[in-house]
Amino acid sequence: MKINTEPKLTLFHCLNSFEETASMFDGCDAKTIKMACSSMTKDVHLLRAFEAGADAVLVLVCHEKGCRYAQGSMWAKKRVDYVKTILDDIGMDGRRLNIFNTTAKDSGSIKDIIQNTISQLETIGPNPALNHFN
Amino acid sequence: MITASQKPINEIIELLEPYKKILILGCGTCVKTCFAGGEDEVAVLASALRLSFKKMVRPIEIEEMTIERQCENEFIQEASSSIARNDVILSLACGAGVQAMAKRFSKEVVLPGLNTTFIGIQESSGIFTEECSGCGDCSLATFGGVCPVTRCAKKLLNGPCGGSQNGFCEIDPDTQCAWHLIIERLTTLGQLDNLKTYIPPKNWNTSLCGGPRKLIREDHII
Repeated sequence: MKINTEPKLTLFHCLNSFEETASMFDGCDAKTIKMACSSMTKDVHLLRAFEAGADAVLVLVCHEKGCRYAQGSMWAKKRVDYVKTILDDIGMDGRRLNIFNTTAKDSGSIKDIIQNTISQLETIGPNPALNHFN
Repeated sequence: MITASQKPINEIIELLEPYKKILILGCGTCVKTCFAGGEDEVAVLASALRLSFKKMVRPIEIEEMTIERQCENEFIQEASSSIARNDVILSLACGAGVQAMAKRFSKEVVLPGLNTTFIGIQESSGIFTEECSGCGDCSLATFGGVCPVTRCAKKLLNGPCGGSQNGFCEIDPDTQCAWHLIIERLTTLGQLDNLKTYIPPKNWNTSLCGGPRKLIREDHII
């Protein structure tokens, strides 16, 4: 099912793994949530982003060996994997939640991640909990 | 602690089918420690249910609350006003908590959101192991603090059996042989002679096979 309006994207990020640049969010309506460390990624926050209307949620974290707090990225991945299973179980499609290891300086890769997410939403469709078509 | 794990979400959704106003009630002691029924788990389940019901275009109201212990009347009381304004209580407590709620609120529907598993400990982060079967006749003093009734697959009181392999049990290479542990521990304590004493056949009357048990403390009854 195609999204008729700009897809909504919520991006959680460690402050060391992302820096917004111009045109980064072209083609989507984005909301960013900064975390002091990706270990603060919590299951409920990811789910609530979908409740708040996100079609896709991205979590950008530092590379595992680059985490200043040693295990932040690993914990974030565990949380994301867990929430993906919940989304699959309730028929929301876990593919609309993803985690990537990035660095703030690599804005090119981050832009690619965002654009790929937008393209993927063409296949996955909008957030089914929002009743777009009812 | 009593350990539990959450029921599959689709089973919970099915249980909740007839209801519109749902109270998800967490329990802040044992099942919180094993990440099954504390405040965080209540919030996650509530959010997942809201998404699921919205997807099904089914209007529903969910209230979240966590009390200290659902197995004690003193704490249950706190939930009474929330219970009054909802159609059903989805209890994220162990089986004892769910039943205590059902006893206290005899006209309310109380549904279990968890599967109660065992009495155990958190061995390491995220790993919980069964340590006690509540057999009603504790013999940990003889066995150096390692319970063969719970931790030996055959519940042997005169082990180890031939299935003990390099300290692990033949039923599962990840399960330590309780009798290997007992002998190691008694050796360390200098109490290996404990095993030379006659241990009579266990009296299982104190265990669950004698029917539901009751503990009576006359000194606390007026």
